[in-house]
Amino acid sequence: MTNATDATRAADPSARRAESGSKRSTRRRFLSLGGTAGALALAGCSAERTGDDGGDGSAADGSGGADGSNESAGADDGSDGGDEETPTLTVATYTNFIDAPSVSPGEWLKDEFESRVDAELEWATPDNELNYYIERAASGVAVDADLYVGLTTEDLVRVDDRLDGDLFAERGDVDGFDDVRDGLLFDPFDRAVPFDTGYVSLVYDGTAAEAPETFEGLLADEHAGALIAQNPGGSSTGRSFLLHTIHRFGDGGVASDGEGEAVAGGDGDPDYDYLDYWAELQANDVRVLGSWEDAYTAWSNGEAPMVVSYSTDQVFAADAGEDLERHQIRFLNDQGYANPEGMAVFADADEPELAREFMSFVLEPEVQGEIAQRNVAFPATDTATLPDDYAELAQEPAEPVTFTYDELRGSVSEWVDAWERQYAGN
Amino acid sequence: MSNRRASSLRDRIEGRLLTALAVLTSVVLVVAFYYPVGTVLIEAVVVDGAATLAVFAELLRDPFYFGELARLFAGESPLAVARALLDPDRRLGIVGFTAYQAALSTVASVALGLPAAYLLARFEFPGRRTLRSLTIVPFVLPSIMVAVGFVATFGTNGTLNSLLSALGLPTVDLLFSLPAIVVAHAFYNAPLVARVTTAAWESVDARAVETARSLGAGPIRAFYDVVAPQVYPAVLTGAALTFVFTFGTFPIVLALGGFELATVEVFVYRLVRDLRYAEAAALAIVELVISLGVLLAYLRYEAKNAVSARGARPLPRKSLLPSAPTARELLPRVGLAAYVVVAATLFLAPIASMVLASVTGGDGALTLEHYRFLLERQQTGAAFQVRPWPAIRNSLAFASAATLIALPMGVVVAVLTTRRYRGRTLVDAAAMAPLAVSGIVVGLGLLRGLVFGVEVAGWRIAASGAVAIVVAHAVAGYPFVVRTVAPGLEGLDRSLIESARALGASRARVIRDVELPLVWPGVVAGAAFAFAISVGEFTATVVLATGADAYTMPVAIERFIGRRLGPATAMGVVLLVVTGLSFVVIDRLGGESRGL
Repeated sequence: MTNATDATRAADPSARRAESGSKRSTRRRFLSLGGTAGALALAGCSAERTGDDGGDGSAADGSGGADGSNESAGADDGSDGGDEETPTLTVATYTNFIDAPSVSPGEWLKDEFESRVDAELEWATPDNELNYYIERAASGVAVDADLYVGLTTEDLVRVDDRLDGDLFAERGDVDGFDDVRDGLLFDPFDRAVPFDTGYVSLVYDGTAAEAPETFEGLLADEHAGALIAQNPGGSSTGRSFLLHTIHRFGDGGVASDGEGEAVAGGDGDPDYDYLDYWAELQANDVRVLGSWEDAYTAWSNGEAPMVVSYSTDQVFAADAGEDLERHQIRFLNDQGYANPEGMAVFADADEPELAREFMSFVLEPEVQGEIAQRNVAFPATDTATLPDDYAELAQEPAEPVTFTYDELRGSVSEWVDAWERQYAGN
Repeated sequence: MSNRRASSLRDRIEGRLLTALAVLTSVVLVVAFYYPVGTVLIEAVVVDGAATLAVFAELLRDPFYFGELARLFAGESPLAVARALLDPDRRLGIVGFTAYQAALSTVASVALGLPAAYLLARFEFPGRRTLRSLTIVPFVLPSIMVAVGFVATFGTNGTLNSLLSALGLPTVDLLFSLPAIVVAHAFYNAPLVARVTTAAWESVDARAVETARSLGAGPIRAFYDVVAPQVYPAVLTGAALTFVFTFGTFPIVLALGGFELATVEVFVYRLVRDLRYAEAAALAIVELVISLGVLLAYLRYEAKNAVSARGARPLPRKSLLPSAPTARELLPRVGLAAYVVVAATLFLAPIASMVLASVTGGDGALTLEHYRFLLERQQTGAAFQVRPWPAIRNSLAFASAATLIALPMGVVVAVLTTRRYRGRTLVDAAAMAPLAVSGIVVGLGLLRGLVFGVEVAGWRIAASGAVAIVVAHAVAGYPFVVRTVAPGLEGLDRSLIESARALGASRARVIRDVELPLVWPGVVAGAAFAFAISVGEFTATVVLATGADAYTMPVAIERFIGRRLGPATAMGVVLLVVTGLSFVVIDRLGGESRGL
C-alpha cells in the first residue's frame, strides 16, 4: 500500500518539477556522453600502412608512434622521410638518462651532438625500456628507433633468448672503440659498445655501524638486521647483489640442474653455495625490500645502517650537502659488482650511420667525462677527461667482478628462481 | 502538433539510449580491455603456436604457489591434504599467503572504515562534507609515497616511536612485517569502505525507521531491522573490493613487508619482466579466477539480499555534542572519539610525515628548496622532461574526462546487472573483470593491443596518447560506479519503475527521473572513485603516453624520486592538494543528497 503512494509521488508532476533542474543536467550529460565516447574512439586511433616505412602513412596528430618518444607530436611531421631535410636520430634509453631530479646526461648530449652534427636528436624513453623494443620486434611492429643506450649484459641475454631474429646490428665502425677498457666488453657478438659502468656496493651510515669487510662478516651477530637489499626479481641493484653472492659462493649446480658443472665460487668451497649463504643471511635478519627506492628510503630513515646501492653514493650526498660520514662505501671482499652499460644500433634503424656517428661521439674523451659525471657513473674508456677530484667521491673497487654474457645465458633466470623459492617459501 | 512530434522523437531516442550506451560500453570494453588483456592471457594456453594446458598443470602442482593444495592437484587424496592443512607446519604457498593477507587486510579495512561511515553518515559537525569528500584522498597516493609516510611514521626512528619514548613507553618494531602491510592496505582501503558505506547509509529512508519505531521497535531493534540491512550490502561491496585489491597488491608489500611476504603479483611482475609470458599469464589467470570468484560470490549475495527501499528522506543527523548525559548518548560519542585518535594515527600521521619530508632539507632543517625544485623544473626543464604543471593539467583533464565516460558506462552496466535474467552472472563477471585482472598484465596488453595495434588489410590500426589514456582510465574506474550504484538500484522498489513505465515513460527516462535520483549518493561516490582511480593510475598512463606531454602527477612523482625524498614528496603534496580540492568540488557538484 505504501508502494502505491510512493509510485504516485514519483509520477506526480509537481514533485518532479521541483528537481527538474538537476535531472535535466543529468540527462544532458548522458546524451552528450554517448556522442563523446564515439568521437573519442575515433580520435585516439591512428592507421599506418604496414610494410616499408618512410611513406607518409602516419595519420591523426598526437597519436602516431606511441613509443614514448619525447618530441611533441606534429613538431617534426614529415621530417624523417625526406632526404634533403635534417635527419632525425631517435635514441632510445631509460628515463633516468634524460630526466632525473638531480642530474642526467640527456640534455647536454642532445645539445652537444646537435651543435656538432647536422641532425636532430630525439629521445625515446618507453616505460618498459628495452623490453618495449623486444615486444615490438616480437609483435612484428617496426622498431622506430635508431639505437638503444643503456644495454646491460642481462638485457642482451634476454633479447637473444626471446627473439629469433636480430634486434641489434653489428657494431660496425665506431671511433674510439679501441679505447674501451677490455674488462667492460660484455657482448661476445660485438653489437653493444660499453659507454659507462657502475658498481654495486654497500652504502653504510658510518655513525651507526662499521660495515664488515667480507661477505662472511655480514653473518656476524653484530650485523643482525643491519642490511637492506632489494628484490633480485625486480630491481637491478638487488639482482647485482645476488649475482655477486653467486660469484662469491658458486651456484651449487642450480643452473645446470645437477647435470653438467656447477658455477664455482671465489670462496673455493664446492659444498657451500649462494643459497647456503642466503639462508644464513636471512637467519641474520637481512631485509629484502622491493625497489632500490624502497630500500634507500628505509635506509635513509635509519631502519638499518647498511643498504645495497652504488659506489657513487657520496657524489649525491656531497651535492646535497649531507654528512659524508653517513654515506660510507664498502666493497665486500674488496670487490664491486660491475654493471657496464652499452649502446647498440637497432637492426632496422633508419639512420644506422648517424647512429654510429653518435656512438663515436659518446666515446670521445670529453663526452665520456661528461656522461660519467652527469650519469654519476664511471667512463668506459681509458681516455675520458674527468676532474681530478672525481675519484674522491666516486669510488671504484680494487677488484671489479661480473658475470659474462655466456655465464648468464641459461643461468640467471634459474638462479633467481631458486633464490625466490628458498627465500619466500610460505 | 510539432511539439508532440518532437517529444515523440525524443521518446524514441530515449528509448534507444539505453541500448546505444550498452553497445558503446561493450565496444569500449572490448577495445580497451578484453582484446588487449586477451593477447597476454592467451599465452598461458598457447605456447609456440600449440594449445596446451601443461603450463597450468605444472603451476597447480607446484607447492611453492599452492602449498598443500598443490598435492590435491597432483592427485593425492583430499583427506591426506586436509590433514596436512590442519598441521601447524602447513605450507600456504604464495597464492594461499596472498589470500590470507588479503583477508586480514579486508577485516582491518572494514574495522577502520565502518566507524568513519557512522561518523560521516549520522552526525553533523562543521566540515563534515569536506571531510567526507577527502576520505578517499589516500586512495590516489602512489605506493612509494605511502611507503615514505609509513617508514617516517611507524619506523624504528619514526614519529610514533619518538612519541612513545617521550611518554616513557616502550617503542614498537612495526615495520617490515605482516601487520605493517595490513595497516598499509587499510590505509588505502578503509576509506573505500567508509565512502561506499556512507553513501548507502545516507540513502536509508528515515520514514522506514520512523515506522519501525512507531510500531514499538527500540532504537537498536530498528537499526538491526531497518538500517543494517540497507547498509550491509555496501559494507560487503567495500569488503569485496578491498579483498580483490589487496589480493592483487604489489609494490607496497615489498616496500613495507619484504620479500618473505611476496604476493602473487610480485611473481607476475618478475615473470613479465623476464619475458616468461606463459608462466606469467597462467599465474595471472589464477589470480583472476580467485578475485572474480570472490566478486561473484559477493554479487550473488547482494542479489539475494536486496532490501526493498523506496526513496530516501535521509535520517536526521545527530549533533556531536550529546543532548543529554545518558549512556546511550555518551557511549557512541566516546567510541568515536577513540576511533578518531586511531584514525588520526593511521591516516593523518603518514600523510603529515610525507608533508614534513617535503619541507625537510638534507641537513634536517626546514626548507622550501624542494618546492623551488618543482618551480625550477617547470621553468627550465627540457621539452622531453616531465614538468609539474603539465602533469597537474593532464591529471585533471584525464580524470575529468575519464569520470564523464565512466559514469554512463557504470550506470548502464549497473542497470543491466540488476535485472534478473539468464547469464547475468556472466555479464557481472565480464563487467567486473577490470578490477580483477593483474595490473601488470593490463599494461602489457595495452602495449600490444593498443599501442602496437592490429593489422587489418595492410593497415596497422593503433591507438595511444591522451584519448587512449582517458578511455583506459574510464575502463579502470567504471566498475566503481557500478558497485556504488548497483546495490541501490537492486534495492529499489520495482513498483516505482513499473508505475512510471505504465505511465508511458521510456526506460532511459525512468532511470533518469526515478532511479538515479533515488541512488544519487551512490552516483556521486562512484564519480569520486572513478576520478580517484584515474588520478592515481600509473601503468596504463606510461604505456599509452606518447611523450612528455601526456604525463600525469603520479608519473611526475616517480620521475622525481631520487636519493633525496624531497622533490618527489613535494610533488606528492601537490598531488594531495590538487586531488583533495577536486574531491570537494565533485561532492559539491553532486549536491548534498537527492531523492524524493
